[in-house]
Amino acid sequence: MKRLLSALMAVFALTVSLPVAAAEDDIVLTLRTDSDSHEFSIADLRAVGERKIETTTIWSDGLQEFVGVPLDRLMAHVGVDSGTLEAAAVNDYAVEIPMSDVRPGGPIIAYLRNGETMSLRDKGPLWVIYPYDDGAEFRTEEVFSRSIWQLNRITVK
Amino acid sequence: MTRPSAHTLYRLLLTGAAVVLMLLAVQAFRLGKDVQTRLEALSSAATDNLQWTLSQAEVDFLKYQRAAARVQGPSDLRALRRQFDIYYSRIATFRESSSYAGIRETPEGSDLLEGLRQGLNEQAALIDAADETLLSRMAELRQLIRDEGDDVRDLALMGVVLQAAAAGDERGRLHQLFLRLAVVVITLTFALTLTALVILFLYRRGQRLAHLQAQEAARTEAMVTSSLDAILMADEDGRITALNGAAERMFDYTVEEALGRPFQTLVDVDPTLIGQASVAADAGDGRIQLTAYRKSGEALPVEVSLTISRSGGSPVLVSYIRDISTRLQAEEELRRARDDALAGERAKDKLLTVMSHEMRTPLTGILGSLDILEDGNPSAEQVRYLQAMRVSGELLLHHVNDVLELSRLEAGAEPEQERVFDLEELVGSIVDSQQANAARNNNELSVFCSIGTPTGVRGRTRGLQQVLLNLIGNALKFTRDGAVSVDVLRGEADVVEFSVADTGKGIAPEDLERIFDDFIMLDPSYKRGSEGTGLGLAISQRLVRMMGGEISCESEPGEGSIFSFTIPLPPAELAEPAQVAHTQTGQEARSLLVIEDNDINRLLLEKMLTDLGHQVVSAAGGAEGLDRIAAQRFDLILSDISMPDVDGMEVLRRVRAEKLAEGIDLVALTAHAAAEDHARIVKAGFAEVLTKPINRAALADLVARRGGGAAVAPPQPDQDSDIAQFVEAIGPEKARHFLAEFRSDMQSLNEVLGQSTELTEGHRQEAHRLAGSAAVLGFADLRASMLAIEQANTNAMPNLDGLRQAWENADGLLNRYVGR
Repeated sequence: MKRLLSALMAVFALTVSLPVAAAEDDIVLTLRTDSDSHEFSIADLRAVGERKIETTTIWSDGLQEFVGVPLDRLMAHVGVDSGTLEAAAVNDYAVEIPMSDVRPGGPIIAYLRNGETMSLRDKGPLWVIYPYDDGAEFRTEEVFSRSIWQLNRITVK
Repeated sequence: MTRPSAHTLYRLLLTGAAVVLMLLAVQAFRLGKDVQTRLEALSSAATDNLQWTLSQAEVDFLKYQRAAARVQGPSDLRALRRQFDIYYSRIATFRESSSYAGIRETPEGSDLLEGLRQGLNEQAALIDAADETLLSRMAELRQLIRDEGDDVRDLALMGVVLQAAAAGDERGRLHQLFLRLAVVVITLTFALTLTALVILFLYRRGQRLAHLQAQEAARTEAMVTSSLDAILMADEDGRITALNGAAERMFDYTVEEALGRPFQTLVDVDPTLIGQASVAADAGDGRIQLTAYRKSGEALPVEVSLTISRSGGSPVLVSYIRDISTRLQAEEELRRARDDALAGERAKDKLLTVMSHEMRTPLTGILGSLDILEDGNPSAEQVRYLQAMRVSGELLLHHVNDVLELSRLEAGAEPEQERVFDLEELVGSIVDSQQANAARNNNELSVFCSIGTPTGVRGRTRGLQQVLLNLIGNALKFTRDGAVSVDVLRGEADVVEFSVADTGKGIAPEDLERIFDDFIMLDPSYKRGSEGTGLGLAISQRLVRMMGGEISCESEPGEGSIFSFTIPLPPAELAEPAQVAHTQTGQEARSLLVIEDNDINRLLLEKMLTDLGHQVVSAAGGAEGLDRIAAQRFDLILSDISMPDVDGMEVLRRVRAEKLAEGIDLVALTAHAAAEDHARIVKAGFAEVLTKPINRAALADLVARRGGGAAVAPPQPDQDSDIAQFVEAIGPEKARHFLAEFRSDMQSLNEVLGQSTELTEGHRQEAHRLAGSAAVLGFADLRASMLAIEQANTNAMPNLDGLRQAWENADGLLNRYVGR
């Protein structure tokens, strides 16, 4: 009975913590190329590279600080340098990101917002963020449409 | 083109165009900025796709609701929770995103969102609960979800409305933007057209100006090139920067050789003058005479004008140079010609002065001696001869005086003092004196005088007398067996009109013009001897003018002539008539001093004055005269002017300075008749000037006027040579003494001169003194020789042969008297 109780407690604790954030080594992103398929946890992404972008966004209020893996680094990591990226979200929202966006100073796949991981309710766990404040070219409707949140898979076509 | 008003107009136009362009530029900049902003706004959508998000919210909601409906057991909870999270994050976006501020700002939207938020929180509480709890309360959750369905729908609809409004706004903004763009474009087009027109106009004007300027430059170039004056330009350092063809020719340099050379090597100009060029130019006509040098080194006189011109900031020296050697040469020739002419004029004056000296001085002897001779009881026959001599002498003196008078009048002599006299008597006596003359040509001479009473007038007797004598004399001279009438009438005011009419041969009309000119004798061949100098009318005219009148002549050839003149002679009260006639009157003796270095002149004066009954003291020089003046009081002092050592001027100066003779007149004696000499003497303080030769009457008159009395001895005829006359005048004993002294002085001068190699001042003075004596004694040659020594131009000893010869002759004559 006592073991059952503690097990229940553990399950409860687990379920309560669920909406807060994904764990460091939960698989959050699946990347498919023609031949391969890669899976990344936040720790994996963090290992590929890290970049911080401070910017305002049209979806939030005030200056935000995002930390994530630069898209170009990630693509380099998996050896992709051509084609189009099809990014899709948890709710199956999908958008195409051209390779021309995959460049240094371009978008990152953010996993930290204001120093914290993002829950699903908070547009997490991954969010494609462009440095909007860096120039008008990052404030076009196209760029906004590519800023996909609740990202969970990328397919290279 | 050069009219200022047109110029101003262009300037205004240009300024206006500039202002318009500037305003357009500002406007264009502003509009450009605006367009850029708008385009940027268009290109960078500040909003996500609103409708997508809104409809997606409903999709997410429906997915969430379906997931809730499908929950059967714990395995379905994961999908439910996931759909809730997605839905939650969608609604959160509405609350946070700036894109949905429009919704949040409306009260309905705000309420709606607040309701949704509360609903979500309630559902979250259930969703986040343990699986058992959630499962047990699923019905409750489903109810909550159902309740929310309408709100989500409303939110979506609100989005549609907002979207439509936003799109409308955007269209409006776009419309406005393009409207403004159109305005800007039109304005710009207009402005550009205007600018193009202005530029076209300016371009044409510039072309026209350039054309004019080119013409001007060509003209200037032509002027500079064709200028006869050399033109040199130099820079600040005085180096030649440009020159024209005339300069090349004048200086013999080619342009290449001249460029860069210092200006001073071509024109010898003081460098400081260059700096002051503009100043110098201001001062005069800007032309300076300088010396220029050709390439060969040859100097030529030039006239240079220097100007500093500031072109482009640095000063440029511009000089115009004219070769004036020809002009200078011509000037020099002119000057020489003028000098020659002046020298001739001076020679003439000199001749006149010499004549005065040469002829008057001997006349002193002749006429003075005649006076003395007349005093000593001559026989009747002697009286006749004496009168003949006097007539001859006076005629000669008259001629000399004519010439001298003319020269004196010409030189602007001091006019004679005005006096009160009896006009009727004066005219009468003149006419009387000419009756004998009239009778000679069988002429009848009459006078008609109608001046009313009193007959006294104020005027210049001597001048009037001379004019009347001239006119009457002329009339009588040119009339034979006819009549000459003299009329005197008082005209208007103070004017008296004189006319002398004759029935003579008359004067041709063409000659009437020139009869008043100098030295005019209309009939030189006329058989009347060499009488007359041709100066009578010329002198008369000058005298009349000096007296403030006019003289004129009318004549009819064969009928006669009328000479008339008018002069102002205001009536005046006659004083007691001062008769200066040849009548012996008992006179109060006056004490007189005569200062005269010439022995003979001094003796004559002494004698004449003594004969007039005065007490005479004489002094042989200025110093002695001053001693006498200091020792004794005289009634009148007569002094020669030109004396060695202390001359007459010095005597006067000291007498006045030392107050030796207060209230006593000093009268100057001089042989110089020149007017300026008289003026100078009178100015110095002499009461008057007596010109030698001096006759008895003049002396008597002088003493009467100046010394308080007069004594006139009757004329005494005499006939003798100059020496004899001298001997007679001063007595044989005294004369012999003086003649002996003269002789020994002459001999010693001769010796001294013979032994000297150079003329000294002493020699000259002694020669002057002895020349005077020689003149009185009639030794003309001797006198001339002496004067030659006195006036010799250099100190070299002149040839003395002439002097020796003259002295030999004179000595022979002297022997007769001294030896007696």
